[in-house]
Amino acid sequence: MPAVIDASKCNGCELCDLYCPLDVIHMEGEVAVVRYPDECWHCGACRQECARGAVSFRFPLAMLGV
Amino acid sequence: MGSRSSHDLETDVAIIGGGTAGLNSAMAAAQAGCRVLIVDKANIVHSGAIAGGIDHFMAFLETGEPWDTREAYLGWVGSVARGAADLEVQEAVYCDELKEALERVERIGVSLRQPDGKIFRTAALGQPGPYAINFDGKKLKPKMAIEVRRRKCRVLNRVQVTNLYLHDGELAGFTGFDIRSGDFYRIRAKAVVIATGNTNRMFNAQVGNPFNLWYCPANTGDLHRAAFDAGVALANMEYVRMTIVPKGFSTPGFNAFFGMGAQLVNSLREPFMKNYHEMGNKAPRNFIVWGALQELKEGRGPIYMDCGHLKAKDLEHLFRTLGIDKDTLPEFLLAKGYAKDGAMIEMTVSEPMQARPSEVCGSGIRIGRDCASNVPGIFAAGDASDQMGCLHMATAGGFAAGRHAAAYAKKTAHRRPLATKAMAEEQARVFRPLERKSGSTYREFETIVRQICSDHFGPVKTELSLKAALEKLGRLDAARDELKADNLHELMRTHEAMNIHAVSKISATAALARRETRFPPYHYRADYPLSDDENFCGLMVIQKQPGGDVTTRLDKLRYAG
Ligand SMILES: Cc1cc2nc3c(=O)[nH]c(=O)nc-3n(C[C@H](O)[C@H](O)[C@H](O)COP(=O)(O)OP(=O)(O)OC[C@H]3O[C@@H](n4cnc5c(N)ncnc54)[C@H](O)[C@@H]3O)c2cc1C
Ligand code: SF4
Ligand code: SF4
Repeated sequence: MPAVIDASKCNGCELCDLYCPLDVIHMEGEVAVVRYPDECWHCGACRQECARGAVSFRFPLAMLGV
Repeated sequence: MGSRSSHDLETDVAIIGGGTAGLNSAMAAAQAGCRVLIVDKANIVHSGAIAGGIDHFMAFLETGEPWDTREAYLGWVGSVARGAADLEVQEAVYCDELKEALERVERIGVSLRQPDGKIFRTAALGQPGPYAINFDGKKLKPKMAIEVRRRKCRVLNRVQVTNLYLHDGELAGFTGFDIRSGDFYRIRAKAVVIATGNTNRMFNAQVGNPFNLWYCPANTGDLHRAAFDAGVALANMEYVRMTIVPKGFSTPGFNAFFGMGAQLVNSLREPFMKNYHEMGNKAPRNFIVWGALQELKEGRGPIYMDCGHLKAKDLEHLFRTLGIDKDTLPEFLLAKGYAKDGAMIEMTVSEPMQARPSEVCGSGIRIGRDCASNVPGIFAAGDASDQMGCLHMATAGGFAAGRHAAAYAKKTAHRRPLATKAMAEEQARVFRPLERKSGSTYREFETIVRQICSDHFGPVKTELSLKAALEKLGRLDAARDELKADNLHELMRTHEAMNIHAVSKISATAALARRETRFPPYHYRADYPLSDDENFCGLMVIQKQPGGDVTTRLDKLRYAG
């Protein structure tokens, strides 16, 4: 998982969904969900826009292990 | 998907791709008094190359230093982009626009200065002096988005443009669809500026994920393909560009590392770049990539970025800058266990991408001094044009393109019509993958395209390998009619995949015609391993003729010295 959203911190403001340049994040009800984690560019736009600090990054093993 | 509506819109100037260049074009066209519509497949607040931030702006500042003049800058361009940069165009789209471009960036609220108020510049990439202004461009894209709204530009976010249409040989308009609602758009414009970046996802990526890329994976040559099909001439399409990236994560950082004095070493701890270029780690990018490839090939890898000799304050600046350019890079480096002090960071050569062979030119729509293509009404800017590259040219030249498009729109009395039949056909074509119950997915199709491109011209090419690639890519044509998408997100990706496929054919065809090597490894023809200035110092222009034939020609370029 690249961008990871902590549902307990998310207030459903939709900004990360709105601004993700790769259409990776979609709202599911009131919570933002990283629907296409494999298509994340790790650009950080979602985190920059999240006022709740709900977005963090978990680099996949493939990136860290090589 | 339910009921999808369709919309007919009209404007004076349309900007296709609201990235760095496109938003500058929009500002200029609005300033000239035109109605402006910006269409982007993402949201212009964070879209394209600088969605997450940017950190260098290249400029000559006329400070009195001999290297800091227009002439010295153009001399540098002529030496590092010889055969790809058209200096007459560059003077018009960059040099003449630079002063205003720098002022504009600061006027919209992004300082080009350090906290102490001073301009700080570094040198790399074969520059004769420090041209790269280091700055915090984290907010540049959001601020530009505010500025175009302030100038009353209309914005259509999340609309992927699918095709361009002409009427009597001149621009009529274009089509697109909303990637969330599925609404279809028919848009008529007097002029368009195409600013959709370069073509990514065409070659295998380092850890197998085609979205773990140096450049923005949303830029997939959509408008290179559409423009080409509409008869627009393209140039510099044969080039396959690469850089040096951290192992595991394809990110920018080259300019920051080398600008601050870091050096590449091999596993024997030998700095090796002087063996490949007299400027060592300050050499033009293609030489560094070439050197790294040789070290890896000859068994002296892994290679590392050695920062151990840098002063603490320079290291601090370097790591801060890396995080401005790529938001998540510092934490990646930490997660890999690199200590900031004296880091030896394992690096590698990135995935290839279809793009310009140098920072100081582009790859795509062949433009003149007025940013116009060969088709009346179609203009281009930024990475999608053949002459603009990087932030400095996207900013300066983007604005120039918008101004010229506005002037053209103003002297055009009527918008040209979009043919009803063509619109109906395009609407059906665009949504067809959603109707297929079975078929291949874009993932499978794109993987095949990537494999063919990587096997046969990523980056080493010969006549035989290029012909093999073209034959295999041609055989894939039938699979395009079998692609299925389960939702609108996949529909967007499906069209992207088809465009990557089309651009890979254009690139291979142009590469076949350039029977020499230039900017190795960006165009390395193993069967013609030397550069041949006499026959090939110029732009390989590729164009689809009205009958459908694809032709190439060389537009020769001349340089002093
Ligand atoms: C991470 C990163 C850091 C960089 N750092 C530097 C730096 O420090 N200094 C420097 O000089 N250069 C840097 N570069 C290069 C520079 O950012 C680019 O050359 C420049 O921003 C390109 O601008 P552009 O407008 O041509 O493309 P982009 O800014 O990429 O804009 C293209 C736009 O087109 C949209 N689009 C694509 N296809 C379609 C379609 N079919 N329909 C509608 N819209 C579409 C995209 O969503 C995007 O918004 C960096 C590049 C990257 C990726
Ligand atoms: S930006 Fe943050 S708070 Fe808003 S929807 Fe996204 S994760 Fe939730
Ligand atoms: S890091 Fe970028 S690409 Fe990934 S989810 Fe966030 S905004 Fe989207």
